[in-house]
Amino acid sequence: MEAFSMLAQLTGDEEKAAQAASSAGFAYGLAAIGPGIGIGYLVGKSVEAMARQPEAAGMVRTTMFLGIAFTEALALIGFVVFILIGL
Amino acid sequence: MLTIVNHLQGLTHLATEAGVEAGEGPGPIVPELKELAWGAGSFIVFAIAMRFWLFPRLKAGMEARYAGIRADHEAADAERASARAEVADYEAQLVAVKAEAAAKVDAARQTLEAERQEQLTALNARLADERAAAAAETEAAKAAVRDQIHAAVADVAGRAGELATGRVPDAAVVARVVDEVMAR
Amino acid sequence: MLAEAFKFPEINAILRWQDIFTSFNKIALIAVAAAVIGIVVFLLAGNKDAKVAPKGVRNLAETTVEFIEDGIVMQTMGKSGLGWTPFLLSLFIFIYLCNVPGIIPILQMPATARMAIPMFLALLVWVVYNGVGFKHQGITYLTHTIWPPGVPVALKPLVGVIEFISNIIVRPFSLTVRLFANMLAGHILLVTFALLTQSLITAETQQLLLKPMAILPFFMLVFLTAFEVLVAFLQAYIFTILTAVYIGGAAHPEH
Repeated sequence: MEAFSMLAQLTGDEEKAAQAASSAGFAYGLAAIGPGIGIGYLVGKSVEAMARQPEAAGMVRTTMFLGIAFTEALALIGFVVFILIGL
Repeated sequence: MLTIVNHLQGLTHLATEAGVEAGEGPGPIVPELKELAWGAGSFIVFAIAMRFWLFPRLKAGMEARYAGIRADHEAADAERASARAEVADYEAQLVAVKAEAAAKVDAARQTLEAERQEQLTALNARLADERAAAAAETEAAKAAVRDQIHAAVADVAGRAGELATGRVPDAAVVARVVDEVMAR
Repeated sequence: MLAEAFKFPEINAILRWQDIFTSFNKIALIAVAAAVIGIVVFLLAGNKDAKVAPKGVRNLAETTVEFIEDGIVMQTMGKSGLGWTPFLLSLFIFIYLCNVPGIIPILQMPATARMAIPMFLALLVWVVYNGVGFKHQGITYLTHTIWPPGVPVALKPLVGVIEFISNIIVRPFSLTVRLFANMLAGHILLVTFALLTQSLITAETQQLLLKPMAILPFFMLVFLTAFEVLVAFLQAYIFTILTAVYIGGAAHPEH
């Protein structure tokens, strides 16, 4: 709360920078939620599949990495946005 | 500790080393032309060298070795197959020889059996002859003894009849009576 | 007090490097070194006797080739894609050798944490897979890409827009951003924990406990360095396998 009251005292460029920093933090945090859940779910299911059918483990692993790559891209775009507006 | 600090400065000592002032230069996600050019140039050179020079050479070596290994495998397989054929050949020969031996043994056994049978028949025949001869002899002896008994009995009976009746009985009648008694 | 001692540098200060000579900075050096190392390794490997069991540098090169063939090409494109092995091989080696300097002392900078190289590679891949699509399917490649077989007519405008954006625009973009942002994030993490450690060690403070506390971010730094070894490999692998998937999909749309 103190931080917000401090924010209110800022002016001009300082305020802009502070807003950018906080919104960058929010942006990255929000962007990480979905992919985090997605990757967890994906890897968990893949491990289940590999445990059930160890002979198909190679194929499952390849597909798992592909899925991780696609899911992770969303979080990474969030990270780039964080870099763009925050730093 | 100082070395660690110095080492860390490899990561952190950048601003002074690089001589870049804060806020100078394009944003962090804007590609820089010089980096693009150098990166593109080196990758293209690398990819072309790999495609037309390095990879074919390495792959040719690998293929040659794999072909060699495959040829060795095939040679081993062929050798194994020929050895198997030899074994089969030997077994076939063995079977033939065994059959031949069995046939010979069979033939010999049959010959033997025939001879045995022949000898057995001959022996039986001789035995039968001898038995018949012995039986005939016995019969003859029996008949002789019977005749003697007959004569003796007739004699005795004639004599007894003569003593009893005072007259000499007819010899033929006595002989007939004796015959009847003896036949009973 | 501590917050004043620890001040994160400007982002450009940890990413941009002074020119060693005109227009040749550390990124360019790493890129050129990656190409040279790749060429030298395969040159030495090719010079060795191919008949005997491979060892040393030849073993390394052959293992890499087999990893690309069995782990990437056969899994995604099948036998018909084996002709793409040299391209994917050079892609993989180049990206890996550009990633790995992020954890090598003195260099301490992944070349792929700058936009230039990932962007160039992604655009090259984009050109290659679209070229392959047009070469294999002619103009039907475009319609196949935009309307996958079996789409109802009523949905065609919608699906067309979505597929066009995802196949033609998002693919190179996500390919670039995935590699670039992963390496950049790793680099920033390493810098952060190195800075934390350094500022804790060199802090001018009366509190005795503060300096030994530097061990905590230092452990984190060691762990993250080990993690970056994995990431460097994984990102090269993912970039290569996605390239293979895109090329395979363009060459044979039914897969």
